[in-house]
Amino acid sequence: MTARLASAFLLLVLLAAWEAWCRLGGVPALIVPAPSAVFATLWSEIATGRLWPHLRITATEMALGLALGCAVGLGIGILLAEAGFLRRLLHPYIVASQVVPKLALGPLFIVWFGFGMTPTVVITALICFFPLMENTLTGLAQVDPARRELFRMLGASRLQTLLRLKLPSALPVILAGLRVAVVLALVGAVVGEFIGGRAGLGASIIAAQSVMDSSLMFALFIVITLLGMVFYQAALLTERLLLRHHLKG
Amino acid sequence: MSIEPATDGFVAIDGASFRYGTEPPIVDRVDWAIPRGAFHCLVGRSGSGKTTLLKLAAGLLAPDRGSVRIDGSALTGPGSRIGFVFQQPTLLDWLSVLDNVLLPVSLKRRPAAQDRDEARALLERVGLGAFGERHPGQLSGGQQSRVAVARALITQPDLLLLDEPFAALDALTREELQDDLLALCALHATTVLFVTHDITEAVYLADRVAIMAASRLHHDMPIDLPRPRRREMRYGQPFNALCRALRQAMDEAP
Repeated sequence: MTARLASAFLLLVLLAAWEAWCRLGGVPALIVPAPSAVFATLWSEIATGRLWPHLRITATEMALGLALGCAVGLGIGILLAEAGFLRRLLHPYIVASQVVPKLALGPLFIVWFGFGMTPTVVITALICFFPLMENTLTGLAQVDPARRELFRMLGASRLQTLLRLKLPSALPVILAGLRVAVVLALVGAVVGEFIGGRAGLGASIIAAQSVMDSSLMFALFIVITLLGMVFYQAALLTERLLLRHHLKG
Repeated sequence: MSIEPATDGFVAIDGASFRYGTEPPIVDRVDWAIPRGAFHCLVGRSGSGKTTLLKLAAGLLAPDRGSVRIDGSALTGPGSRIGFVFQQPTLLDWLSVLDNVLLPVSLKRRPAAQDRDEARALLERVGLGAFGERHPGQLSGGQQSRVAVARALITQPDLLLLDEPFAALDALTREELQDDLLALCALHATTVLFVTHDITEAVYLADRVAIMAASRLHHDMPIDLPRPRRREMRYGQPFNALCRALRQAMDEAP
């Protein structure tokens, strides 16, 4: 509790120092706006309701991309873990596809899917796919051999072993992948909007830059950070809920 | 094969050998018969092939040569007639204790109320009646071993195979579990093959003890202590004489 209080106090001290630096040091507002100006801008964006559509769009892109990427990553991870031949055949290609900077594909996706949400969702999904697939592969490979033998002794089918032994044992590792994916999803959504978005928080940053409104850019940073923290906390909560029995004792 | 059926063996292992790849055999031409309802122990040092022999009896491994027959028919793989208790409790952390006990049933069909009652009764018998809704992580090592024994017995197997199940427990807990195991097996006259490296454990539990060394069965010794076995027997002269004889036989084995 004291650590949290100290942490909050540190934020106040830093904000005060920043404000003092801007006022006393005569820093131009274009370069670094004072916190008071940033909060005033943020408040006016909220009060006028201009912020909400952008926030909704970015959050939707992030959620859709995350869901799509995680579902495909989990599915392919399971498939590759279960079918050794497919794994040896496809894994090099999948790794190669991840080494390609996915944001560089943005312009191509605009050609394919047009402007708007679709290219951003696809980029976000591509980014989220990898940690989920890798962690699913790792988790499924790490199942305790004694437990596998137990399932064999009990005459469990392959599907039963997957659903009732391998996936539950791998769940902690898979959910650790989800946590990484959540953080990457925000990067995907915001940067995707930089490239092809017309609306959303990332597109708003580009718009603010074009009119040189630094305090609006800072205000948007704050909103993006808060959005990321909300998603991350949601992932943590999901994890705690799903692993409540794994963690007992 | 002219011996009377009672000694012919519910479990009949005939000249069974097993090796991994081209390595020397881990189980080498083992013959053994366990009569129905008997409690046999297999003792030997680590690496003598005990666990492999047990896995052959379970159908987890198939012999390269020779055969394993249960109740007259050749063993083709694991089945619900055989219960197995591993060295580690190997419980599933994400299931409650009751669901862990029910696992062998729930892999076959949806457990009925009757199955649940039976699992609760088994837990009651191993002294864990109040722990059904807990999770394995909340239990001590001894309690987890009890759950593993209950899980192996839920399908009322004809044959129970145990692979040093109590090796990791402290001496007092181990003795309690040995008494519980004997009581449980007496209930349905279960045939038991129990692998251990502990001489006193083997003598206390078994009707007959066999010694395994360097992949072969070397010596076997009937244990003619009265049943039910009681804790005081451990300190009696006949018990200690048997332990000494067994130890001597183990030392003589290569």
